[in-house]
Order: sequence, then structure tokens, then C-alpha cells
Amino acid sequence: MGEPTAIIRLGAEATIYALNWNGMELIAKRRVPKSYRHPLLDKEIRMQRTVSEARIISEAKKYGVACPVIILVDLEDATIYMQRIRGIEARDIIGNLNQEDLSKLARRVGVLTGMLHNGGIAHGDLTLSNVIVDEQMNPYLVDFGLATFTKDIEEFAVDIHLLDRSLQSTHYNVKDGFMQCFLEGYRTVMGDMLNDVLKKVKDIESRGRYVEREMRKR
Amino acid sequence: MISTLIIIFFERRLREGTKIVLGIESTAHTFGVGIVSSDGRILANENKVYRPSKGGIHPREAAQHHSRVAPEILRTSISKAGVSLSELDGIAFSVGPGLGPCLRTGATIARTLALSLNKPLIAVNHGVAHIEIGRLVTGCRDPVVLYVAGGNTLVAAFNAGRYRIFGETLDIAAGNCLDTFGIKAGIGPMPMPEVVAEKAKSFVQLPYAVKGMDVSFSGLLTAALLKLKQGVALEDVCYGLTETVYSMLTEVTERAVAYTAKNEILVVGGLARSKRLKGMLDIMARERGAKVYTIPDEYAGDNGAMIAWNGILHLMFGMVVDVEDSRIKPRMRIDETEVRWFR
Repeated sequence: MGEPTAIIRLGAEATIYALNWNGMELIAKRRVPKSYRHPLLDKEIRMQRTVSEARIISEAKKYGVACPVIILVDLEDATIYMQRIRGIEARDIIGNLNQEDLSKLARRVGVLTGMLHNGGIAHGDLTLSNVIVDEQMNPYLVDFGLATFTKDIEEFAVDIHLLDRSLQSTHYNVKDGFMQCFLEGYRTVMGDMLNDVLKKVKDIESRGRYVEREMRKR
Repeated sequence: MISTLIIIFFERRLREGTKIVLGIESTAHTFGVGIVSSDGRILANENKVYRPSKGGIHPREAAQHHSRVAPEILRTSISKAGVSLSELDGIAFSVGPGLGPCLRTGATIARTLALSLNKPLIAVNHGVAHIEIGRLVTGCRDPVVLYVAGGNTLVAAFNAGRYRIFGETLDIAAGNCLDTFGIKAGIGPMPMPEVVAEKAKSFVQLPYAVKGMDVSFSGLLTAALLKLKQGVALEDVCYGLTETVYSMLTEVTERAVAYTAKNEILVVGGLARSKRLKGMLDIMARERGAKVYTIPDEYAGDNGAMIAWNGILHLMFGMVVDVEDSRIKPRMRIDETEVRWFR
């Protein structure tokens, strides 16, 4: 492949390089070895997550979810080469958006998530860092490293719960508005399934491990 | 000796407004009393741990243990601190989370003291108290907190007035997983699994369950016990188990550090005593340009001093409760408490 030009993101588990391949802008997502982990465990985790991520991204594309196109998978090096999506992480812009743009974005993220779930995929790490927004305010889902194929409503509910909690911990003030529009968008794809999923979200919360209990104390 | 006492006495009187709080810890195994002053000095920290003769904790027996040892611990802590009851400015206790019978024992003692001495009663969140004593004794300012103990496993960081939970266990706590394994394998709870692991000859692969920033340990525990039944050497299973648990904890902590862009990591709770966990976190932190602050062993597990110190912080911001509103909260979460004193 082409020469990596620059590191564009140092994530928790992977390093993302930008590179140019035959005039096409690509990124290489390399799961870096973690020296704190036992080498056997480390290799297993990196390879397994690389395979799973590549497989799921191509599947998600089939259902029309906006996400990167996979070009090549190098298993030995735990690296996926894929299309580069130009934009900013949603977490970095939602604090600066006006009400209208925020609602529009939230609705679109809801639609994407609905398409993903409808196709039988749970993202597994649906936080605002993993939504890239381009100049036209189109959101793309990235980082499918923890995604799974599933029909289990609970897994879908966990996605929604994770998104909610990522807002809760960093964008507390816009959380409610964002989630409301998100669910509107989500409903356009999922239809009545929305209610089942929401019931599960409540379920998860009521197990006492999640989010603020204050709201339902009385 | 006497001159030191006199100096301490005058120092205390000279500093206008120095407050002293007595804190009672009784959420699980430990009954503890701490006495701390508002300038951050820990005057006493007396703790007694209930150790069941076999198996895990029995809530009622633990509570009976606590009420049995309470008078003696209260007496020694007060004499060690060199304060009289009338000098106290408040009585703090763990209001939750924890085991009902244990919490009630501590709460009852605290209410009795507060009422009979006519002092303010302070209801402290046990999880927040772990974090605050960590910040006090290690000197870190705004860390990503890994709180790992027998009953709790979570990653949190301060944001918008509270400690927000970034990740936590979806089932049992990390400490519970290791303790239960140790007990069922016949070697006893932590640190035994880690000690036995040092003799391992090979690495046994076990299921690794990280979901986003959340972790799950129950499947791992079952798998480890199964390996044992299948005849895999105990030390190898211990090694595989501890390595897997600590790797999972390090991974979710790393995710929180990457997400929040904070450069301090604070480890609190009983499992903070683990050398191997600390080692892994150190490697991870070095690669990220962050620093790990590990709480000294004395304050890692449950203790009275942390409740007293958090009581001071509550008191300074007027967060006291009436006896009628001091009901225990066995399932309290750390984000239920407003952290008004943060800075």
C-alpha cells in the first residue's frame, strides 16, 4: 500500500494513519500491540477484533449505513485499510451547533443506527467519538471494533444506552434534546420495534447499574 | 511528647475554622472509624475486618461483627486522635452502596452519636469517599478513576459537577471474581490468586469480555473454574485469570483516558493493592503520557478515614442531613452525589 503520511488519530486501541493509494485517500487502522498484555492474549484480541471489524463494516455497507469502504485487511499486522472519511468527530461539534443543526444531526445519527440495527448489527461502542460528521453535516459511523452480529434487542438497547451515557458524561446540557431527535430518526427505520428497544433500555437502567437513579427515585 | 501535644493543640486553635469530623465505615467486611481535620490531616484511622471462617461474606454475621467491635474501635480512634467528643464538628457515615445489615449498623451508631452529642449528621457516598481520600493522599487533581474492589468495579471521571461513570461491570465486580475463584479453588481470596499465579508455567486463554467501556467477569469466572475441573494446573489458571482481569481493567481505563484526554489515573479500592494491576496500568500510562497514582495500601480498602474526609468536604458545603432523611441506600451510585467541593 502507499506510504503512510501521518498519524491522524491515536485511539485507545488503534492508531489511524492517513495514506494515499493511487490517488485515493485512505486510512490504515492498525491495532497496536499492547505491551501491558500477555503476548498471546494480545495477539488473539487484535486479530479477532480486526477480522470482526472488517466483516461487520462490509455487512453494514450492504444495508446502506454510511461508513467507510474496506480496501484491504492485513491480518498479521492487525491492520484494516479503508476509505478516509473527511470530517470531525460529533463530540467536538455538538457543543457548538444551533438547535436546528443539532436536531438534524441527531435525527440522522438515529436513522443510521436504525439501519444498522435493522440489518442485525449492534455497534458496541456507540459514542460521539465514533460518529464522524462531514461538511454537509452528514454523519458516518466508524470504529466497529466492538460490533457484533445480533438480533438481540438487548444489544441494540446497549448501543442506545452507551450513546446516552456518552452524552451524559460530556454533553450533559444538550443530552435530552439530542436523544429525543435521535429516537425520532431511529423510529423512521425501526418502526414499532422502537418501543421494544426502549423498554430494554429502561430494563438495563433499572438493574441498578446504569445512569442516574435520581430521575426515577420517586 | 507533651510539648508536641501542646503544639498540636495550639496549632489547631490558631487556625480559625479548622473542622474535625469522625467518619464511620461499615458497608461490607470492614468496620472502621476515622477522624480527620479539614486541613487534610488524618488523626485516626482504625479498622477491623470481618473474616468469615469459610466461604464469602454473610451480611448478617458481618453486621453482628461490626456492632461487636464498634465500641472498642470508637474508643481507640478517639484516644489516638487526641480529641474529645465535644471537639468534633460532625459525624459522617457510609450511607451506601453496600450490604443492608452492615450499612444499618454504621448508620445507627452515627445517628446515635450525632443526636447525643448534638452534632451535624453527614451521609457519605462510599464510592465518592474512595475517590476523595485517593485525591487527598496522592495529590492528583483531576484523574480518571479506576475504582476496583470486591463489590465495585467502575471507571469514572469528574464532569459537570459529579463523578460520571464511563464504564463499569455488567455483572460481578473484579474483586468478587478473583475472590470467588480463590475461595472455590481452595487457596483463599485475594491476594492468593495473584500469589499463586507467580508460579505459572504457561498462559491459559480465557474469555475476554470488554464491551465499549464496560466489562463483564461472570463468564470469565465460570470458564476459569471449568479449566480447573478439566485438570489444568491451578497456578496456570490463576495466571490466565489475573492477567485477563487486569488486562480488561487496563483496557477500559485506557479508553476513558483517551476519551477524556485527562493525564492522571487514580486507582482506588481493595484491588488497588495488586502489584500486577499497577504494573499494567503503569505501562499503559507511560505510552499515553499519563501518570498513575495508586493509593497507599492503608487507604486502598474500605476505611474510616475516607468517610471522615469526605464528611469534612460535605460539611464545608453545608451538605448535612436530618436523622429522618438518613436512610441507607444499599444500591447508591457514585453519580448520585453532587461533588460541590471539586477543584
